[in-house]
Amino acid sequence: MTEHPPDAGELTFTRVFDAPRDLVFRCMIEPGHLTHFWGPAGVSTPLDKISVDARPGGVFESVMVNDADGSEYRLRVIYDEVVAPERLAWTDPDTGMITTSTFTDLGESRTEVTIHQVRVPAPLRSPQAQAGFTTSLDRFAAYLSVLANNEGGTA
Amino acid sequence: MNTLDGTFTALADPTRRAIVARLALGDATVNELAEPFDMSLPAVSKHLKVLERSGLISRSRQAQFRPCHLERAALDAAADWIAENRRIWAERFDKLDRHLRDIQRASGQHGEDQDR
Repeated sequence: MTEHPPDAGELTFTRVFDAPRDLVFRCMIEPGHLTHFWGPAGVSTPLDKISVDARPGGVFESVMVNDADGSEYRLRVIYDEVVAPERLAWTDPDTGMITTSTFTDLGESRTEVTIHQVRVPAPLRSPQAQAGFTTSLDRFAAYLSVLANNEGGTA
Repeated sequence: MNTLDGTFTALADPTRRAIVARLALGDATVNELAEPFDMSLPAVSKHLKVLERSGLISRSRQAQFRPCHLERAALDAAADWIAENRRIWAERFDKLDRHLRDIQRASGQHGEDQDR
């Protein structure tokens, strides 16, 4: 269903939600919804610290607050694409990482959300360099943990 | 101190990943590293320079054949970043799932859910 081929070399997360696509999409761009889930476990995102300007070039800013110690983590990204209710893409200007969220209507009020993330440091943006990203970093991560587990024997 | 960019850049290339995998088994010289690849020594050296700059490997200065050594801390940092990123999305989606159930139940859109 995705008209765009996913960006090369992505980290990928997929989840199916029992909710219609319009609603799931709105959850990702409306502060009133984001405040309920944007922070991971143990981390809140106060409503007054979320601002969303959901259009290309617009800013999505949020401050996540650690419930345990009050430490704050600010996320500020720029939307590249806002295609309701199918796709959202934003870039983190600090890291160059591009995050694309694709919303697929599975019928019967079920929606699949896929998050693709590509870490593209500025010097890497040539097509040749991007081709290097085509092997999934995810798979490599799994591989790395195997390497790490084997570490014991070698010095 | 964001060396992660450099690490990911270095790991973006399949040959360099293979070199890293080889070095995970133990130190190796350029010649040893070049062996499994159909590559000239200068080409391998170029990859090694990228890996060295990223901090993923180090090379002995004194030994004649300058064996390459994998710096696990840099590799671990990259693996940790990937794992952490995955954890954040997983937890975020757990919460979104609950939120979607809550609001749909509240609006009666879905009628009674069986669970809970």
